[in-house]
Amino acid sequence: MTNEPATSRAVLLKTNDKIATLTINRPDARNAMSVEILDAMHDAVDELKDSDASVLVITGSGRAFCAGMDLKAVLIEFSGDASMGERLLTRLAELTLKIRALPQVTVASVNGAAIGGGCGLTCVCDITISHADAKLGFPEVDLGICPAVIAPWVVKKLGAGVARKAMLMGGIMSGEQAFEIGLVDQLAPKRDALESLTNDVAERLASGGPKALSATKNLINELDGSFDEALVLKGAKLSASVLATPEAQAALAARMKR
Amino acid sequence: MIESREESGVQIIELARANKRNAMLPEMLDDLHSAITSCPDALAIALLGQGKTFCAGFDLKACANDPSGDTMRALLTGLSKCVRALRDHLAPVVLGIQGAAVAGGCALLGGADVVIANRDAKLGYPVVKIGVSPAISSPFMLSTMRPGVVRTRLLDTELIDAEHAKKLGMVHELCDEPTQVRDRAISLAESLASKPGSGCRATKQWLNEICSIPDSIADTGLNTSLGLTGNDEERERLAALWG
Repeated sequence: MTNEPATSRAVLLKTNDKIATLTINRPDARNAMSVEILDAMHDAVDELKDSDASVLVITGSGRAFCAGMDLKAVLIEFSGDASMGERLLTRLAELTLKIRALPQVTVASVNGAAIGGGCGLTCVCDITISHADAKLGFPEVDLGICPAVIAPWVVKKLGAGVARKAMLMGGIMSGEQAFEIGLVDQLAPKRDALESLTNDVAERLASGGPKALSATKNLINELDGSFDEALVLKGAKLSASVLATPEAQAALAARMKR
Repeated sequence: MIESREESGVQIIELARANKRNAMLPEMLDDLHSAITSCPDALAIALLGQGKTFCAGFDLKACANDPSGDTMRALLTGLSKCVRALRDHLAPVVLGIQGAAVAGGCALLGGADVVIANRDAKLGYPVVKIGVSPAISSPFMLSTMRPGVVRTRLLDTELIDAEHAKKLGMVHELCDEPTQVRDRAISLAESLASKPGSGCRATKQWLNEICSIPDSIADTGLNTSLGLTGNDEERERLAALWG
């Protein structure tokens, strides 16, 4: 049975039996995380806490998965609001903690670009699926900003050594390269094969006992320190403090003008 | 035995004892520590070895010639100080391995943020063979690699090639030829140095905090290795190797 409460237009949430799908729906801005998007994702995730679904697929509408934080919102010169950066980053930190704590097994189906915070979002999920031509990465340091808010999740996903290289070197990698370093767990050869692969994985996951899945996920969360809220929130504050520096604001302004 | 110079914000630090495969002596590690700590404003560090081998580990002949164990103790203490200094430096550290990084040479990986090596380079910690414990390296390895990998690499004396090491997360990037390593390592360090400094430094500090190695744990690793130094097993095995 398909159930479509469609939480908001910013985020689409539909549930089909045991599989829920959350689609970030801001394709004209490559699904960049604005206040509206983050609020809508919080609402959708809250809704899932009482859902019978045992699997949640997160994907993006259009060509991108999620291009990261909304640059217009965090650029003080543009938004005129010096506190917006910290508010957005804290909201993102809270969202990642909430997604990690969901009883559902979470699958990121990376249909296109997953950049910065968008790529961090994939690391919060239990399983990441993408295609060879997708673009993923953490280019924050190239802009003089710091991916601290998502770093705890990247370290848990990749292991500290690989995460260190990925976040300090910055840049973008292909889906194939992301698969090689463990950022992507399953790789479709082409974009048009991603949906089918995602469905196969989601259905296989949903065939497991919901209680067994949830208990296993919860134990792994306990073992790997996923419930350390203070660390993630501290990361958000650190990201915000670097973001507010003149160096970072100048680099972001230059990027906006490109 | 150490050469250090700054080029375009990159501090290029080289092990310069090529005729001995850059095998470490206590005074060499003192100089390495000085080189690392005397460039606080560097934007990136490239740590390299001159000649055909990055580093063959401790100079075991010098250790065998000193049955008191003082040389081994000085080497272990000096190595621990160097790895900690690399980790604590605000600038990201690129390590370039050509030929081999063995034992103490491989332990330097624990202070690196980016490791590149030629595909056939040999890496490993075969020190239990000579009655030495690689415990000194374990806290740093556990902060960058999977626990299962650390367990195998420290207990098994096998040397593995860099291609395998990349699959295990010990190495991040491969070059086809040993002669390509130096230029590639410097190029990566230059790329890191060219990034806006605040983001890069804050990111390294935050990663150090997330994956922190308290001094007490690093000391425990060092003291475990020091505790075995000078015992009969080590003396006999070193003498058998160099006697």
